[in-house]
Amino acid sequence: MHGLLDNYAQGNALRRTDPRLKLFVGLVSVITCALSTSIAAPMIVMGATGFATVYLAKIPSKFYLKLLAVPLAFAASSSAVVALVHGTGPMIFQFFFGLGIRTDGMDLAALLMARTLGGMSAMFFIALTTPITEIISLAQSLGLPEVVVDLSMLIYRYIFVLMDQALTIHDAQVTRLGYSGFKPSLRSFSMLSSVLFLRALDQGERLIIAMDSRCYNGKLEAPGAMTRSGQGVAALSLIYAAVVMVIAFLTRDLHLL
Amino acid sequence: MHIMEGFLPHPWWEVWFALSLPAVAYGVKVAGNLAKDRRDVLPLLAVAGAFIFVLSSLKLPSVTGSSSHPTGTGLGAIFFGPAVTAVVSTVVLIYQALFLAHGGITTLGANVFSMGIAGPALGYAAYKGATKLRLNLYAAVFLSAFTSDLATYLITALQLAMAFPAATGVWTSFRAFAAVFAITQIPMAAMEGVVTAFIFRYLLRARSDVLVRLKVISGSYAKPVEVWH
Repeated sequence: MHGLLDNYAQGNALRRTDPRLKLFVGLVSVITCALSTSIAAPMIVMGATGFATVYLAKIPSKFYLKLLAVPLAFAASSSAVVALVHGTGPMIFQFFFGLGIRTDGMDLAALLMARTLGGMSAMFFIALTTPITEIISLAQSLGLPEVVVDLSMLIYRYIFVLMDQALTIHDAQVTRLGYSGFKPSLRSFSMLSSVLFLRALDQGERLIIAMDSRCYNGKLEAPGAMTRSGQGVAALSLIYAAVVMVIAFLTRDLHLL
Repeated sequence: MHIMEGFLPHPWWEVWFALSLPAVAYGVKVAGNLAKDRRDVLPLLAVAGAFIFVLSSLKLPSVTGSSSHPTGTGLGAIFFGPAVTAVVSTVVLIYQALFLAHGGITTLGANVFSMGIAGPALGYAAYKGATKLRLNLYAAVFLSAFTSDLATYLITALQLAMAFPAATGVWTSFRAFAAVFAITQIPMAAMEGVVTAFIFRYLLRARSDVLVRLKVISGSYAKPVEVWH
């Protein structure tokens, strides 16, 4: 409805799996990708988390591929910049104006591309299988300060309220040709933002009253009945983590060119 | 403008985490004291955070990949001060990564530093400086939002340049990244400045009591406070 990944996080086939395990797998993958110096580990992470997201969590593959295209476009264009400016090695491809691609620049670009794709698919795995509320209550049990927990919960709630209102206002403006040129767009967008801000303040004031009348004492309780998964799943996650880390370590000196 | 997951190599993403952490921790302390002091602060901060999120989800694609959109952090800094804005921005950045696939987890430290700490702090400084010079209020608001956007973009370019220096040094690659981002970021910063000034004008007309309560303007400007609960 809002195009937010949260819709899938709330209703996927891995919804009932222990959030600690999902976060563990996701974070190990993300960190392995960020630390690896060859494309092997990121590629494996991308395959594994992609498989888990599409086949285990049953996220529609069309949607998933579309989502993956976002970082792909980003990774491709940024890697191209890096390939052109980076490196001191021999030229493998010469453009005009002395611009060219050198072997080490090309290597780095390929690595960046792999790392971004691997990291993004690991992040998508967390985003599409684990609802924010569970992440927050997990962070709470790990000692995240009370203010931050409450703030996160309330922001989470109000994102949806404000998103709805923003979309409604935006649709109303579009049907009245509010975005038909530069000047009307500027006017419409300013109006949308200011009305949205006032409505947000309004909501905030009503929220204080609502919370006060329910005996708010400066602390919100996050409902956190966490599910536990069997030992088999936990063992599998541990094996996966060990394998990707070992692969990242073993292939640390691997270069394409 | 955020750096995507996986793009910053070791040790840079750790460095930016280490730099951001103390500032955010300080912000958490300030926000905690504020919330203890006045119980209506927390809901207000929450809706401000949600507002920043929604504003920033209206994004434009840009060439080099990190995308550009209004940050809304200049406004946050004027209303709540840079320390608290750092906390709100951190939460917003996490939600942007998990809800919009925008940004990342290992790059969170770098993104928090550019968008949550440096941008609002410099925007706030610009606002304070402009009001001290007795500039028009709208001009001060414009400058604040413009500066915080511009600072965010320049620092992101610097972060990328430091991680991927050209053969001739960091400065060359900084200019390269800054030049590529400038195409979208400078018009964007000016736009956000204008839009923020418009928001301010609208707020001053419709609900000046709110601005007085947040201590943004002094009471003499405001219309009488309505009883409206």
